[in-house]
Amino acid sequence: MRRILAQARKELIQIRRDKLALTLALLLPVGLLLLLGTSISLSVTELPIVVQDLDNSSASRSLLDAFRQSITFHVVPWPVTKPPMAAFTANQARAALVIEHGFGRELARGGAGQVQILIDASDSNTAKLIQGYSTQIVAAWNRTAGGAQRLLPVKSHIRLWYNPGRVTKKFYGPGIFVLGLSMFPPLLAALAMSREGEQQTLLQVYVSSIPAHQFLLGKILAFMAIAAAEWSIMMTLLFTFFDLSFAGDPTPFLVASVLYAFCVSSYGTMLGAAIPSQAAAIQAVALGGFLLVFLLSGLIFPVENIPGGLRWLSNFVWGRYYMEIVRDALLEGGGWPAMWFNVVVIGIIGSVFFLLAWRKMRRMQLSI
Amino acid sequence: MAALIAKEFAQIGRDKRLRISLIVPPVLQLLLFGFALNATVDNLRLGIVDFDRSPESRDLIAAMTQSGAFKSAGAYASAEKLGEDISRGKVDAGIVLPVGLSRDLHRGQQADVQVLLNAMNANTAAIAQGYTEGVLGTWNQVKLKSGELHARFSQIGSAPRNLRGIAALHPAFLFNPGLVSSWFVVTGTFGLLLTLNGSLVASAAMVKEREAGTVEQLLMTPAGTGEIIVAKIAPLFLLLCGMVLFATALIKVVFQIPFRGNLLIVFLGAALCVLCGIAIGTFLATFTRTARQAQLMSFFVNPPLSSLSGALTPVEAMPHWMQPLTLVNPIRHFGVITRAALLKGSGLDILWPNILALAGITLVLLVLSVWRFRKQLG
Repeated sequence: MRRILAQARKELIQIRRDKLALTLALLLPVGLLLLLGTSISLSVTELPIVVQDLDNSSASRSLLDAFRQSITFHVVPWPVTKPPMAAFTANQARAALVIEHGFGRELARGGAGQVQILIDASDSNTAKLIQGYSTQIVAAWNRTAGGAQRLLPVKSHIRLWYNPGRVTKKFYGPGIFVLGLSMFPPLLAALAMSREGEQQTLLQVYVSSIPAHQFLLGKILAFMAIAAAEWSIMMTLLFTFFDLSFAGDPTPFLVASVLYAFCVSSYGTMLGAAIPSQAAAIQAVALGGFLLVFLLSGLIFPVENIPGGLRWLSNFVWGRYYMEIVRDALLEGGGWPAMWFNVVVIGIIGSVFFLLAWRKMRRMQLSI
Repeated sequence: MAALIAKEFAQIGRDKRLRISLIVPPVLQLLLFGFALNATVDNLRLGIVDFDRSPESRDLIAAMTQSGAFKSAGAYASAEKLGEDISRGKVDAGIVLPVGLSRDLHRGQQADVQVLLNAMNANTAAIAQGYTEGVLGTWNQVKLKSGELHARFSQIGSAPRNLRGIAALHPAFLFNPGLVSSWFVVTGTFGLLLTLNGSLVASAAMVKEREAGTVEQLLMTPAGTGEIIVAKIAPLFLLLCGMVLFATALIKVVFQIPFRGNLLIVFLGAALCVLCGIAIGTFLATFTRTARQAQLMSFFVNPPLSSLSGALTPVEAMPHWMQPLTLVNPIRHFGVITRAALLKGSGLDILWPNILALAGITLVLLVLSVWRFRKQLG
């Protein structure tokens, strides 16, 4: 134990000397969380749309007003003579509302006035949102200004759980938190370990009396401490700037956090042991820590959306399990019954990384 | 100078890692981003609590689960059990049909149906909400027309007090009627790839000379600093342009994105984007002495560059104060150019402001990096 602590202390001293790595470790997670947490969003507001009122009756103008009042749309003027398609190719609007001639007359007769909405679907997700919002606006207008019945056979009462305001940053904030923890501790760990390989200081370790597992544990402990520092800084941000709080029992989250810190530090150490070149080790961490967690852990879009041929990979992505735990702790509050499996998996993946690193060390030791 | 360029080519040819980083990351990134970042919302798991067990309630459930947006995830005996499973993440949504639904419908009273959505993911929730309202709205219309329900509904439906009709909205999706999600992501990733990969390759090549300590040897050649710089940049530029062609082919073959406009506009934008990347990489390399430092520097530059680009998520969804920042980002302009030119067929007459902006940014970055590089050589 004394040896492990001494090794951890040595490691922390070395990091303190490396200014670039230190700013990277403590400043970048915060910057990343603030930047990505606020900029990643799919909830569009004030989308520019053009309107063409070919009817120009009091009814059509009232419908247009309903669109003007919504926060989703922002009406930009467009001459009636120009085709609405031109607004899309010119990137001036994302949708065009066309009220057909005779809309007001049809409405007064008790029929159905025709309204068309043309949607630029080059961004398919936004296109779907536009469709949903415009349908809702027209339905609401029909109920108040049109002749739609106020008594529907079946009325839906939709309850939005866990995030009733549909605030995007509450969903992406915890995601970026996991991304930060998956990237920086292993990056530093890999750098430190590959430096030992690059500068041949590993030989000193071999001749000293410290066994391989204690050496590794000491290193991992140091990077777990760094992960803990990053964890606290980022959690503070989540609680303040992102307006989150524990939704239920936080103990699975706390246990998982310790295990996750161990898991990512072991991952970095393993890569560093396998790749004795700092530049190459950075790229390897960027691939595993960033790309896998960013793409295959459900950070932006649900994992279920990934096509089957690729989705099975996400079962091995450690960030995915932690992401579910963090979101559960801060939003859903499912607690142990919902999350015990994820906690176990993180522990297993972490142990595998540790064993691989240990085996690599042993091999190198024996080969000298 | 020709000799210098030949030397650069020979060096790149011998550098296996550089060669790999020209081919593997573009392929990997395009494929991974294109397939993994999928915004489609379908097959949401719907838990069902049916207290009524009548033909009407079953018909309503069938309407919900047949839409493709939801799939049945089993029946629950109570709303509490359903709520528990939503919080455990076993189902994404739930519908609760009350006792007396059928009775109410036949008596001419409005029946209330509760729909629970896990809104943790705001985007999924917004789209699922739209789906639900659409499905129930259609169900209401169909039932009213069929006349199966109590006469009170249809009386009110057909003879409104004010004798007014309703507005019927017909949506039409242009340019991407199949709503293929990857068309947006792939066209965005293209720009990310060119700039970020360009900067990575360039900084690696520049730092290499530094690390090996051969900068002095370069200075001793009769070539001027300007020539040295051009000789450094030109081969990288040519190689990266090769990557552009390769990536374009991948976009066409794998993702089957339509090329509706002029491909030359896209290539022009891509060339500028690559130059931007090289300039950024060169600039960063002048601040560093080792490959390790150069790579760590990219951790500071790449996140803002990629997140403020609108490449993966729409710019309109960012906070309003943030949106103007994207205007100085080359990737944003390139994204606008590729999407407009490829998907919508826009021409130069429309895209010139973006091309001009991209060219301006490229020029500023190039001048800046050449100035730093010269200063260092001197």
